[in-house]
Amino acid sequence: MVRTRNRNDRRRSGLVISKRRFVASVTIPLLLYESLGIFVLGWAFVLMFFDYSPGRLGGPILGLGGSNPFVGLRNFVEMFSGDSVQATLFRTSLRNTIIFAVAVLPLNLAITLPLAWLLESIGNRFKSLYRTIYFLPVLTSSVGVALIWMSMYDPQAGWINAIIRAFGGTPVAWLSDPRAGFANVSIAMWAVIIAYLWQDYGYNMVIFIAALQGVPHELREAALIDGANSWQAFTRITLPLIRPTMLFVCVMTMLSSFQVFDVIQVMTNGGPNNQTQVLMLDIYKSAFRYQNMGWAAAESFVLFLVVMGVTLFQMRVLRTDWEY
Amino acid sequence: MAANTLSTPLAQPRKPFGWSRFLGRFLAYFILTLGLSFTLLPFVMMILSSFKTNLEVLRVPPTFWPENFTLENYLKIFNDPQLPLLRFYGNSAFVAVFNVTSTLFTSSLIGYMFAKFEFPGKKILFGWFLTMMMIPTQITMIPSYLILAKLGLINSLWGLVIFSAVDAFGIFMMRQFCETLPNELFDAARIDGAGEWQIYWRIVLPQLGAPLATLGILGFMFNWNAYLWPMIVLQKIEVRTLPIILTWFNSTHTGQGALVMAATVLIIMPILFVFLFFQRWIVQGFTMTGFK
Repeated sequence: MVRTRNRNDRRRSGLVISKRRFVASVTIPLLLYESLGIFVLGWAFVLMFFDYSPGRLGGPILGLGGSNPFVGLRNFVEMFSGDSVQATLFRTSLRNTIIFAVAVLPLNLAITLPLAWLLESIGNRFKSLYRTIYFLPVLTSSVGVALIWMSMYDPQAGWINAIIRAFGGTPVAWLSDPRAGFANVSIAMWAVIIAYLWQDYGYNMVIFIAALQGVPHELREAALIDGANSWQAFTRITLPLIRPTMLFVCVMTMLSSFQVFDVIQVMTNGGPNNQTQVLMLDIYKSAFRYQNMGWAAAESFVLFLVVMGVTLFQMRVLRTDWEY
Repeated sequence: MAANTLSTPLAQPRKPFGWSRFLGRFLAYFILTLGLSFTLLPFVMMILSSFKTNLEVLRVPPTFWPENFTLENYLKIFNDPQLPLLRFYGNSAFVAVFNVTSTLFTSSLIGYMFAKFEFPGKKILFGWFLTMMMIPTQITMIPSYLILAKLGLINSLWGLVIFSAVDAFGIFMMRQFCETLPNELFDAARIDGAGEWQIYWRIVLPQLGAPLATLGILGFMFNWNAYLWPMIVLQKIEVRTLPIILTWFNSTHTGQGALVMAATVLIIMPILFVFLFFQRWIVQGFTMTGFK
């Protein structure tokens, strides 16, 4: 930093030094800490090219090599074209994860956007009370959510079957029925999707409410005065204006539903017949139950690529380059 | 049409009161209340079941109101020597408080530095942070576990805090806030002879009260409810945090639905009360940050 010389020169250079010292004392520990992060990342990257299990002794560096041999791309080839049990299970999990995410996103939007819009359109008196209650499940531990819904889904004493019986229907074993339900997706999968939606919708609602509050009233009112009905005002004015929020909500919802774990692990643990086995669950089981960590690392990388691809696609489609 | 619009006085009420407007309002409240009941009913069922006997929850059709209102389940949980609840609350609180404190400190300090200091490599370093933010946990989970195993920190609560000292997201958020603080504030303090750390501690931190509160509460919730990573790290029962204890309790008490619901109430209720106290901060925080 070059400064013009003047009488305060000594004092200024003292300030510069103390600033530099401050920056150094923050960045140096930070760099050390972050290089741990890079190390972890590098390790994860290397791991997927090995047949690694922590129980085997292996080579001198990170236990790689020796009885944990280098396999190159074989993990990936196996995943997509092999017919071993774990390869088949991986493909089932990938399929289930995509089904889950593809079902959750539109259902979530179909619940949250109208409710947020209605909540925003009614007066202020009840707004915060409604919003608070809708938000409660978001803060509930997913394990709690899973247990509550398991008791509701109970085939004998659960409330959902009680309602079905009251209307004269046949009760369903929600969490253990592998039969295909609506849209050829298994009943158990629908059951976990509903529980997941219940936990999650309050979050997007709150975000939509904030976005709707940010839309200038004049624009909507001008449209109404021009003879548009509320539906037209909503689809032609409000919806395009909250498009950046839409992008955010879509990306975040997709990200978290591709990585769903807690609710499914507790409710079905992947069953029945692996109908609800999702990728995170498969990765967890491969890595920590079967100690097959090279394989699990390769699976995580595929999940990462899928999530990345979906995010980039959404950003492409929903991007805006204007402001209001 | 355009001429017509121009001649309309702006102050004119949008629509006169009428049946269609009343009906619209009614319908709006109806749908919202329906959604509200759907949101609340599972909680109500949980609480009511926890006051029933284990036999009553098995009954078909289920009873809504407890027939014999009983505290038996709660007493059983409190008196269970295998389930030292206070200890598990302590474990959860330790992890949450430790992680929140350390991330609040590092986020504010590093965010302030990125906002207000110029140094070579700043942009690269910040870009690096943003990249790290995008890397999902499932990628780093396996090597992190292996490192903890090497360090002998499996089954130790310290294993849950060692990788959580720096939160890229918190840094990003704090940087945004620090950028809005006026430079004159810091220059004045420097002229008065304050050291850089003093400026951080006495001037920057107090200004960051609101965003720190938001970040802290959200971080607390996140840590309190965390499930996957604690489950991997904490394999022995004594060191477990509450969500893992809850699944363990459920699997060891099958067929005792009321008891499990009572445990669920005890474990999820504290956080809901925290929410009711701090709800303004939290809702604001979620919308401000999009943090989950």
